[in-house]
Amino acid sequence: MNRRTFIKTLAGGALALSLEAGLGSLPSSALRAQGFPDLVATRGTNLTAMFDKSLEALGGLGQFVKSGQTVLVKPNMGWAIDPAGGANTNPVLVSHIIKNVLNLGAKKVYVFDNTCDNWNDAYQVSGLEKAATEAGATVAPANSTGYFQKVDLPGETTLKSTQYHELYLEADVVINVPVLKHHGGARMTAALKNMMGAIYDRRPLHRNGLDETIPELMLYKKPNLNVVEAVRVMISGGPRGHGDSRYLSSQMMIVSPDPVAADMASAKLLEAAGIKIPEYIEQGAKIGLGVADLEKLNIQRLTAA
Amino acid sequence: MKNNCRRVPAWTRRFIAYALLLLLAAAFLYPIPLDAVLHTLPKFQFGQLIAALISDGQGELIAILLIMALLTVIFGRYFCACLCPLGALMDLTSRIRAVFSKQAFAYKPDSRFRALVPILSLVLLWAGLNLPFGLLEPYSLFVAKSVFYSGPNLIIFLVIILAAVSGRAFCNCLCPTGFILKLLAKNSKFHLTFKDSCLKCGACSRICRASCLDGKNKNLDKGRCVLCLDCLAVCPRDSLAWGEAASAAQLPNRRPFLKQAALSLLAAGSYLTPEALRAKTLAQPPLAPILPPGALSLAHLNAHCSLCHSCVRVCPNEALVPSGAESPALWDRPVLDPYQGFCQYDCTLCTEICPTGALVALSKEEKHQARVGLVFFEREECVVVRNRTSCGACAELCPTGAVRMAQGLSGDEEPVISENYCIGCGACQQACPVRPTSAIRVNGIFIQQTAARPVIVETEDLTLTDDFPF
Repeated sequence: MNRRTFIKTLAGGALALSLEAGLGSLPSSALRAQGFPDLVATRGTNLTAMFDKSLEALGGLGQFVKSGQTVLVKPNMGWAIDPAGGANTNPVLVSHIIKNVLNLGAKKVYVFDNTCDNWNDAYQVSGLEKAATEAGATVAPANSTGYFQKVDLPGETTLKSTQYHELYLEADVVINVPVLKHHGGARMTAALKNMMGAIYDRRPLHRNGLDETIPELMLYKKPNLNVVEAVRVMISGGPRGHGDSRYLSSQMMIVSPDPVAADMASAKLLEAAGIKIPEYIEQGAKIGLGVADLEKLNIQRLTAA
Repeated sequence: MKNNCRRVPAWTRRFIAYALLLLLAAAFLYPIPLDAVLHTLPKFQFGQLIAALISDGQGELIAILLIMALLTVIFGRYFCACLCPLGALMDLTSRIRAVFSKQAFAYKPDSRFRALVPILSLVLLWAGLNLPFGLLEPYSLFVAKSVFYSGPNLIIFLVIILAAVSGRAFCNCLCPTGFILKLLAKNSKFHLTFKDSCLKCGACSRICRASCLDGKNKNLDKGRCVLCLDCLAVCPRDSLAWGEAASAAQLPNRRPFLKQAALSLLAAGSYLTPEALRAKTLAQPPLAPILPPGALSLAHLNAHCSLCHSCVRVCPNEALVPSGAESPALWDRPVLDPYQGFCQYDCTLCTEICPTGALVALSKEEKHQARVGLVFFEREECVVVRNRTSCGACAELCPTGAVRMAQGLSGDEEPVISENYCIGCGACQQACPVRPTSAIRVNGIFIQQTAARPVIVETEDLTLTDDFPF
């Protein structure tokens, strides 16, 4: 190592550290300091029980949401496909999270997604609009540029800038609730990829390569908590799903404030079904969003009754 | 008190007309909650039904047309009074004008020249040139050119000016629907009558927007009367009534009866369309525009479409647009533009609301296989092939699995096409990040087809061998 590379490495490390400190209200290191795990994986089939058990292990949802805060719950509801198809986050889970957030005294809970199918159809057919509204959240549209604001991304990025939904920018707390599934373009979609529904124009990401650009969407503002639903996971024909799509009954929920760790654990599930680990996870670790090496993390493995 | 009583018919008529106008306008602005309106009101547009008849359309539409025509022969032009959205708009304009100007209308005798424009538009429609009809037929004009949706449009502006200056002149001079209703209503069984108490003061003539009431001579041109009933409200002696013809003298005599028989024959004759003439005017376009689902073929769409743009207005993805200069043979008819939006897999709205049957109603299952175009993949332009990056936007959106990410010519994952399953919805073209021309596009087909049914394989779910593979 010569002096130049040494200084570069040092500078890179300092940048990563400063980003880590600046992003998210409660980084996993803070949880660790309190003796809580960095990531909780809970097996089971009952989504509400799995969520409760996971959050109990992390010290409760109160670690992430305080009374009076505005909370965004960001599911994947991009498709006009009913819950059985596994293309969207399960409404039961989203509804349960919203109720818990409101019980903690949150001022307002928002739900939106910039859908792939026609937004009205997707909101309705996914069952999420109804479930979220009944649980007490405000379901907002995300189908026109008027709801989005252009933001310059910090540091050296490929994207340089993107347009975030105003509610994503406004929220004090963002709870990212993706469904894990195969993705024809990005190989897999979970926590990092779900941010593509929080921005308006996705074409620059596709144009410049998804592996490079997907993690950059979390550089400006990182979700405070990621809850990956992986009970019955679509392992072919994703993200939409086709009549011949196959599923993996993995019966899992992966919860972590670290989106990179959550995605890596999710990728290991898909790897068991023969899907290669997407490169964007390592890329996310490289730009300082979290830890991709699960060996280095304190993982708690649970089973919900 | 009595004064108020005789206002009731005019007020009722006005209420119905304005309510339907409002409902129709609102339904096009908010098609989701008001879809019931879109499924019913357009089906009772007389002019649209005439277009369906002339283009040899569906029997169900023709049956509605015949019933509506029969009702006109008995009751007069109730359609113009209550059901015509443009008529209601013109009445509204007249009322607003009345606030600023007290200038009165006056009776004018009928003139044969008034038939010229409507007949011309109907003959051209018969010959396969729908454009003049589309510009004059009130529903087509209201929906396609209305200020509510497409911004101020010169044609609707002219119609409103005409209404402000001379009331319902449009209905009796230019409107092809009005022309046919006029012939049907000429000897209607029910109509306005003058009572003996009439003093020939002419108050009714001064309010008559259709210029059909000759109060000085106690004379009424039944054909032109659009049944606004405003005259009932202004008559100072309550000497006007609407009802069955009282005296035998007013029953139809032989001459008008023969005229009506001739008209019926003409309508029947339009079934015998000169195919050779139509084939000439319904030419194939040089490019390959994508016709909306349910259009069946270019010839079918061209023959039946009245240019009302109802489908364009309701398309939730704004994917349907009026065709422009690039496909002149389509004459402003609807086409699918995947750069604007794609055709939503489960949506059948445009086919359901088409008032002339130019788009044949499709069930969700039929729509899933209704091919309107075929995918064309320009592999060399694809970012995955060029840059070896990950994209897959086309495969992501494809509802049928016609485009999938699989091992391609490069050995790596790239879009791979199975044409059999392609329905031409345009989702891939819209999603493709390559601009200005997508690397994956849809080519329209002139005769629509049925695509292969997507493969459905029910397989057992895999299970994990480790409880936690990490």
